[in-house]
Amino acid sequence: MMKQVNFKIPFRLLALILGLFLTMGAFAQIAVKGHVKDSSGEPVIGATVRVVGQQGGVVSDFDGNFTLKAQQGATLEVSYVGYQTARVAAAASVTVTLQDDAQVLDNVVVIGYGVAKKNDLTGSVTAIKPDEKNHGLITSAQEALQGKVAGVNITNDGGTPGGGATIRIRGGSSLNASSDPLIVIDGLAMDVYGRSGSANPLASVNPNDIESFTVLKDASATAIYGSRASNGVIIITTKKGRKGSAPRVAYNGNVSVSQVKKTLDVLSSGEYQNFVKNLVMTSQGMTEAEYLASSQYNSLGYFDADGNHLFANTDWQDEIYRTAVSTDHNVSVTGGLKNMPYRVSIGMTDQNGVLKKSSYQRYTASFNVSPSLLDDHLTLNINGKYMYSHSDYSNTGAIGQAIAMDPTKPVYLNTPYYNKNWNGYFQWAKTVDRNDPSWTEGPNTLATANPLSSIYEKVDKGRQHSYIGNIEIDYKIHGFENLHLHANAGADFEFGRNEQSNSPYFFDDDIYYHGTNRWNSMRTSNVSLNAYAQYLKDFTEDHHFDIMAGYEYQRLHKNTDYWYLMTNQPTNTVDKGVYKSSDNELTRYKTENYLVSFFGRLNYSLLSRYLLTFTLRYDGSSRFSKDNRWGVFPAAALAWKINEEPFFRNVNWMSDFKLRLGWGKTGQQEGIADYGYLVTYQPNTTGAFYPILGDGTTYRPDAYNSDLTWEKTTTWNGGIDFGILNQRFTASIDVYYRKTTDLINKITLPVGTQFTNKLNSNIGELHNFGIEGTIAGNIIETKDWTWNLAYNVTWNRNKIDQLTNAESEDYRIPYGGLPVGDTSTDGVKAYHVGQPVSAFFVYQQVYDANGNPIRGAYVDRDKNGIINEADRYYYKKSDPDVIMGLATKLTYKSWDLGVTLRANLNNYVYNAVEAGNANLSYSSAYSGYAWHNVVDMDMQKAWTANGAKDVLSDYFVQNASFLKCDNITLGFSFSDLFSSNSFKGLNGRIYATAQNVFTITKYKGLDPEINGGYDGNIYPRPFTGILGLNLEF
Amino acid sequence: MKNSKKIIFGAAAAMLLTMATTTSCVKDLDVENINPKQTTVLNQDALLNKIYSSFVLTGQTGPNGNGDIADADEGRSEFYRMVWNLNELTTDEAHWIWYKNDTGYEDLVENAYGADNAVSSGLYYRIYFTITLCNYYLEQVQDDGTAETKARRAEVRFIRAYNYYTVMDLYGNAAFTETVSTEPGQYYTRQQFFSYVESELKAIEADLKTPDQLTYGRISKVADWLMLSRLYLNARVYLGLADDAAAADYYKLAKDYANKVLTEQSYFALCKTGATNPATGETYSPYQMLFLADNDKNGAQKEIIIPVIHDGIKTTSYGGMHSLVLASYSAGMSEDIPSGTSNSWGKCNRVMGKLSDIFFGNNDVSGLKSVAAVTSIAQDDRALIYPGSYSRYIYNEDDADAGYACVKFRNVRSDGKPTSTTNAFVDTDLPLMRMAEAYLNYAEADARLNNGKTTADGAAKLNELMDRASVPTSQQSSSYSLNVIRDQWAKEFWFEGRRRMDLVRFNSYGGQSNYKWEWMGNVEKGQKFSASRNIFGIPYADITNNSNLKQNTDY
Repeated sequence: MMKQVNFKIPFRLLALILGLFLTMGAFAQIAVKGHVKDSSGEPVIGATVRVVGQQGGVVSDFDGNFTLKAQQGATLEVSYVGYQTARVAAAASVTVTLQDDAQVLDNVVVIGYGVAKKNDLTGSVTAIKPDEKNHGLITSAQEALQGKVAGVNITNDGGTPGGGATIRIRGGSSLNASSDPLIVIDGLAMDVYGRSGSANPLASVNPNDIESFTVLKDASATAIYGSRASNGVIIITTKKGRKGSAPRVAYNGNVSVSQVKKTLDVLSSGEYQNFVKNLVMTSQGMTEAEYLASSQYNSLGYFDADGNHLFANTDWQDEIYRTAVSTDHNVSVTGGLKNMPYRVSIGMTDQNGVLKKSSYQRYTASFNVSPSLLDDHLTLNINGKYMYSHSDYSNTGAIGQAIAMDPTKPVYLNTPYYNKNWNGYFQWAKTVDRNDPSWTEGPNTLATANPLSSIYEKVDKGRQHSYIGNIEIDYKIHGFENLHLHANAGADFEFGRNEQSNSPYFFDDDIYYHGTNRWNSMRTSNVSLNAYAQYLKDFTEDHHFDIMAGYEYQRLHKNTDYWYLMTNQPTNTVDKGVYKSSDNELTRYKTENYLVSFFGRLNYSLLSRYLLTFTLRYDGSSRFSKDNRWGVFPAAALAWKINEEPFFRNVNWMSDFKLRLGWGKTGQQEGIADYGYLVTYQPNTTGAFYPILGDGTTYRPDAYNSDLTWEKTTTWNGGIDFGILNQRFTASIDVYYRKTTDLINKITLPVGTQFTNKLNSNIGELHNFGIEGTIAGNIIETKDWTWNLAYNVTWNRNKIDQLTNAESEDYRIPYGGLPVGDTSTDGVKAYHVGQPVSAFFVYQQVYDANGNPIRGAYVDRDKNGIINEADRYYYKKSDPDVIMGLATKLTYKSWDLGVTLRANLNNYVYNAVEAGNANLSYSSAYSGYAWHNVVDMDMQKAWTANGAKDVLSDYFVQNASFLKCDNITLGFSFSDLFSSNSFKGLNGRIYATAQNVFTITKYKGLDPEINGGYDGNIYPRPFTGILGLNLEF
Repeated sequence: MKNSKKIIFGAAAAMLLTMATTTSCVKDLDVENINPKQTTVLNQDALLNKIYSSFVLTGQTGPNGNGDIADADEGRSEFYRMVWNLNELTTDEAHWIWYKNDTGYEDLVENAYGADNAVSSGLYYRIYFTITLCNYYLEQVQDDGTAETKARRAEVRFIRAYNYYTVMDLYGNAAFTETVSTEPGQYYTRQQFFSYVESELKAIEADLKTPDQLTYGRISKVADWLMLSRLYLNARVYLGLADDAAAADYYKLAKDYANKVLTEQSYFALCKTGATNPATGETYSPYQMLFLADNDKNGAQKEIIIPVIHDGIKTTSYGGMHSLVLASYSAGMSEDIPSGTSNSWGKCNRVMGKLSDIFFGNNDVSGLKSVAAVTSIAQDDRALIYPGSYSRYIYNEDDADAGYACVKFRNVRSDGKPTSTTNAFVDTDLPLMRMAEAYLNYAEADARLNNGKTTADGAAKLNELMDRASVPTSQQSSSYSLNVIRDQWAKEFWFEGRRRMDLVRFNSYGGQSNYKWEWMGNVEKGQKFSASRNIFGIPYADITNNSNLKQNTDY
């Protein structure tokens, strides 16, 4: 606090002197005594107060007070940097509360290499600020965007603590190459080499530090990012301090409790015993007495140390999940040392997962200083962010095991046999001879592992360090202020390491007895520099030009390494040493790529109502051979502010009416190897020697494609923005058509042409067509009540237009999640001309009179009398037709209540859980002489086999449309708490949130929200209750 | 102010510098590969090893990792395992318990395969991967006049011819190229492949070395002769000739080349010595020695003309001999007849009732669990079948206990020494071509030249094989019919990955119903299926990619 006073005094003196100076010319009327404060109650020092229509004014003093003379009823205008200007009627005593200039900032949108006024945007750009009041438990930034932006579909990868998410903007534009958007943090394009031990680039930023997101959707907005922009761009800007403001300390923290909402229905111990009894007696033709004497019966349940045959009643899913308590703390200090705004923050997240042992801890620290010097001609913006995270992944394999594990077995079995061989856990075993009389057992690999043992006999942890920093310099040339130069140098260094170890009791054929110790690491660096010059010029009042030209250089480097060691036990009679190790392997891997670009933008506005934007980017990438290296990415957009036309100018209720038209070309170069066009050879590593000559080292020539070039997407976009009552209600609608050509597609090659059967090539075209709309409004705005609502909806369809140069009806490219029980080549989806990108490729199921699917009975679609792969057809797709999001907030005095809802329509999911457990036959339930539990979903069908064709039945492709309530939050705000003479008091808010509240769906599986539409055993998204506190002083 | 000016100039200078360095940064785009796992310098020896390894390895890390063929399970896309599945699961010898689960297998067992069958299309791409490597080697390694280079080039040409032979045998008509270029290959008919393979095998004969000049595993002149013999024996099928009379000239050649192999006894000979395991006391017949873990040094190597090398540590794969051993065994069987591996796949590979009939006739072997008991009833050392508690016929295909097990292939050493420190992968080498074939080729060609009955000369060759297998002379004859020879092929080479080819030659496969086995044509007692299934289809993708190609009839 002392420090604060120290720097305040000269400023205040200056303000007072200035104020006295300015008030001299005022003429006496009534004396107005006023007080200026901000929304948190803090006095605002040095605010300028003037009477509208008069010269001069005063400045508020140390305590925010001012006096001046004005005519009764005259309008006073109070302004201060960083706050919205307020107007009040002059009276003897007035109190002015200045609102944050958030609203002002709202009108300025960060775009690629610059900012733009929202009103002047010509492209499809959505800028949002994270909802500070109703956000649920956000550990990664993408969750703040979920359901908030039309055309943006975000699916998180399940309930894994610190888990990632898949982001698709307008349906994605690629097949095999990446459909992820480019992410730009404070002007630095993030790398796409991925992370080890952490989810995605967004995980490196604490969501509490984020000031705003800008989502660039159409090509006229994204083309400035050229070869990486086809899937849209998300620009993240972090928070800054404010000029000359007093230090402000803010604390945001919460504690949350998570619990699994529901588990998969499987047979209980009692039900299972009956099921097994019936199954054995009917399939093996046994009487009840024979059954009770059979080895099958003896395999059920367990025998205690005294030899008693007992039956446990274990709910394995119950055993692996827990109620998890998590906490999150963030502290920031924001202020301004004269012309140097600063912000420093630290964050600590300790998140525990509902799967036992799973957890995620993250520590973040960031600072920002943004001084302006030389009469604001030179501004600097320096950001530094550090993140350290630690993940315990537990063992997600236990989720599937908990479904299949026999419920008559106990978790632990305290007998000498189990203690000695399985560390006390029950396991299905078999005898193995490995020259060690002390270790004669091994896992029965056809049985299910005890899921608890899987969790506790394995350690799987990840650590990630991330350093992101950038320096941005902007210089308005003295004496030629219309031109300014801008440079941004940034770097992102990431280091991740994953460590695994398994005890020798771990249930795995290779690991049991030997145990493992292993790690792998990944270092990435991303260094970039961009510089541009911008020139603003008005020729007469009607012509406004804004021209920008720049250059960018980026180098991405990746370095990975690994190590492992497995040993025999010391009791081995033949070999006590190493069983397997990485000793003789070449474990290092390095790669890099460069991107060099030139870009420019021209904005021209005529009569401030006709707007034209033209951008051009010229990109060179080291990922392509010299001949294909450079690409040109142009874009143009037009906007017409109809409400500014003379004939609408008097329509006061209409505050915005704009028509936008845009066209542009963008590229996509991800999913392409760094050296894919160079001739190289790959030497073998362990286990792949063939001793004909020398030591048997083998070289494989790598397949290469020197003709490869980037994908190109051409986008047409038309949009209308509409706003009334000073933007109290706004609406916008966009229609887009995006055509991707030169699709990078891993395709089967003509045989004999390459050293592989499949290679990335530019073959194919697809298009996305969609409409998206947004409505937002403050429905109620009274002194005590406000109610606002924002709704967005997107309809998107895509279709593959071309796949190869050759035309063939039959041509298709299988891909996607592998059908259950099979590890062979054919996925459950396939690409085919005329079909949506995410179409399923399946057999058409035949049903019996009761509507149950008949196993093995499929429609012979080609009518040739045999059912084989030629009978498969395209059926439904996993991408939704419609996505919707709704957020609403009601406030009454200090209370606020927020709700967010989200829906996907007509998205289908392949229910791999049902498909994988469909076989209820004796040989499946008793596979490997070990009992396996069955899933309730499969009981009705009563299939007695489940083959490679059966799992490809369209029956398993199920409608997974859903409506979800993501969050409900109730909050109470308070101010001036504990205030006294010496302490201004605390402002803040206390809130309670319920997250993942309900899901309405017809889908049979646990959760219909599945990225890619393949529902294996995902980490369940838990229900979470949160209690949070925000404080500021 | 001084400082501020410095800042201005500093900033301006930085920007100018940026612009100035732009051109040098553009040069950064000319990258060199910095990945230490790749190299830009070709090592010819390592490329030759890679070509040889294509009979068993599937990628650059064994047994699995960095695979050659994209989108495929490495184990199931191994060359020999796929050839085996196409030639055995479709016939009277083998059945696969998980035939419904493993994509493509069901269609093989039911003789209902389409052009995109996962196994046949997987093998097609595997074969052409190897052919491309061979083409590349022959382009990169030019003849420098030395005997060694000539021999290596000839060996690579042999492997290419072997692969094209496999194409001709399985797919009939397909793509052909001898260069590595973006130009799709020509369309070759079966007849064109025949001429090509014949001319290649003849052209390289002089350059190939004799076995005594070569290290273990390399291809010699003898392999070339045996391959020619195999080609001519099947000429009637490949050239679509009307009958044996029309193919008489080829049978003479088949016999001549088989004779050449047989008379080069100084290099290769039938393995006629068994052994007793000093550690376990187990005895092995000479025939068994061929399929044990030390078959590269226990005497059997003298019979194996092309061995595919396996090593539990250095050369590991989920295909080849590894899959033959592991798929044959279930955990319990190993207690009676040790497999020599720490793992097994639950006897998923099983013997069809028809093959049991060939060995045992009407004799009952059910419940037997030892090699001695079973072979003595069969009166044939080659009946390495394990009845145990399994049933003889596979009438219920979903019943895991249906069908006897195979104990022919094992990872046990005859000298009692331990195999590689981990017995997770086998040491047993795979006999890709072995001497016994020359005997059968000779006898069959002899019979076909002699109205379907062997001469005494031809019969003597079969009797020599029977003697080696301890078949009593009372069971032998001085003249054998073609039907007996068909059964002898089964007895000598069962489960060695060639049955479909033999059945087609004896007109006992598609398009007939005189010779039947359970589930032939997907009917319990067997029924006729179309002769169009005597060859497989060309994968749709290659037909689409290469407009030169034509799809086979009925696909």
